[in-house]
Amino acid sequence: MLTIKNHNSNILTDISFHLKQHENLIILGSNGAGKSTLAKVLCGITPSNNVTINGKKITQLKTKERTKLINYIPAKLEIFDEYLTLEQYLDLSRLHTLLASKNILKLLELEHLKTKPCQQLSSGEQQLTMLASAVLHNARITIFDEPTANLDPKKSRDVYALLKSKLFQSKIIITHDLNLAYRLGYKILYIKDGKISFFDTSERFFHPSNLDHFFASSVQKVDEYIMVNL
Amino acid sequence: MKYFMLLLSFIAITLAPFFGQIPIELYKLDNPTTVDYKLFWDIRLPRVIVAFFAGSILALGGLIFQSLFKNPMGTPYTLGVASGSTLGVAFAVVFGFGSLLSLFGFLGALLTVVILFALTLRLKSYQTNSLLLVGIALAFFYNAALMILFYLSDESQSFEIIRFTMGSVDVIGLNNTIPILLASVGLLLLSWWYQKELKLLLTSNDYAYLKGVEVKRVNTVLLVAVSVAVGVCVSITGPIGFVGLIIPHIVKTIYKKSAEQLMLPIFFYGGVFLVLSDLIARNLGSNSDIPIGIITAFLGGPFFVYLIMRKRN
Repeated sequence: MLTIKNHNSNILTDISFHLKQHENLIILGSNGAGKSTLAKVLCGITPSNNVTINGKKITQLKTKERTKLINYIPAKLEIFDEYLTLEQYLDLSRLHTLLASKNILKLLELEHLKTKPCQQLSSGEQQLTMLASAVLHNARITIFDEPTANLDPKKSRDVYALLKSKLFQSKIIITHDLNLAYRLGYKILYIKDGKISFFDTSERFFHPSNLDHFFASSVQKVDEYIMVNL
Repeated sequence: MKYFMLLLSFIAITLAPFFGQIPIELYKLDNPTTVDYKLFWDIRLPRVIVAFFAGSILALGGLIFQSLFKNPMGTPYTLGVASGSTLGVAFAVVFGFGSLLSLFGFLGALLTVVILFALTLRLKSYQTNSLLLVGIALAFFYNAALMILFYLSDESQSFEIIRFTMGSVDVIGLNNTIPILLASVGLLLLSWWYQKELKLLLTSNDYAYLKGVEVKRVNTVLLVAVSVAVGVCVSITGPIGFVGLIIPHIVKTIYKKSAEQLMLPIFFYGGVFLVLSDLIARNLGSNSDIPIGIITAFLGGPFFVYLIMRKRN
């Protein structure tokens, strides 16, 4: 369904992979490896002729068709207007869903904040707002850039449940949270210095010998959890 | 507070044409042979109309530029559109096209937009900050060119240019108010048409793109429209600063709503602000009008600083 072929830029080198329909993907890699850059190429913010969705080049898709197919949730909420409220922000995202906005607000416990300007929300609340917008946009493929980065443990678990749920179709999740990656069990793409250095199943990636190879001794598998060895 | 302001503004606009250095007697206004009739219909009323619509163009244009450039400083003035217009007028004065001042002013504004866009197309993506820097550089360049024209001009030409740069809403005859009225209403209708897109662009360009806005096309249409309207405005009134910068900020601070919901109030209060400034300009001096640009800066500057300080606390 989603294909990128021989993509090269300043940061990325020879990126090629293919994602089948209803397949999910986790993108891992150290800071500055090119994960977000890749995400922006995949969703079309950085136009590239090397990306095809459903057999059509992303640069040639009609605007409406493109919004139906792909959406990207950045790591940080970016809003210029001081007074645009959470509710207004979500309304702008409500594109291809029949779900009522208030249901998702209830689900993510954002109801009491809906008349608050987005700029005044805490970073965790902004993160949840963006997740709510992803549900309401309801694209075939949604790319999440570090969806749990600013959340407390309980909220992280809520988001994990949300990502696991049927509310999203296909997902591409960029994360540093290895435990989340392991729990989700999706296919793993590991980027190092702008190149793909691993693209295979979760089981293979989280094999102890492989973990040593990618993270030296900083990551360990203890029982059924992936831990950072401090 | 809002309704009180609205009521007060309406009263001020309605009464504005009746005040000036020469008192008007009301019962003479339906008699075309009187001086009062001519004064009211040919001088006072056109002046108020031009002031209102010039103010509305500058304020709404400021709001749109700020939204598109995601920068509270991004107004048609900061981008050099007004400087371009001033240069056009100065050129006309010095090289003997005195009867075509408006046309040259308009061409100067248009030339600036063309230069801005030629440069933007060379930029890889739509980088709003680089465009802002280009605008600032352009304004410096225009200033230098204006200095050359001053150097070449004789005394009376210099005076004419200086008076133009101070700004004035002096227009004679109702027919001459039509261009600015059309430009102003046209801009308002166009921004209404693009309200949804503007709202999305108020978040970020990326978000707007992901939700299906053709960012480059919408930006281009709106920037050209604002520049044309400002070009028309400046060629008639001269560069009147501060309106585009402060009115959007003041109205936002009072209404506390997202910008795209405030287009009508900003349009309206931009107009009211210039009508009041002109009213002061006409009545303060004992034997001649004070240039309106001086009044707007004197009124707007301190009030703007006050608002910023109040926000900080």
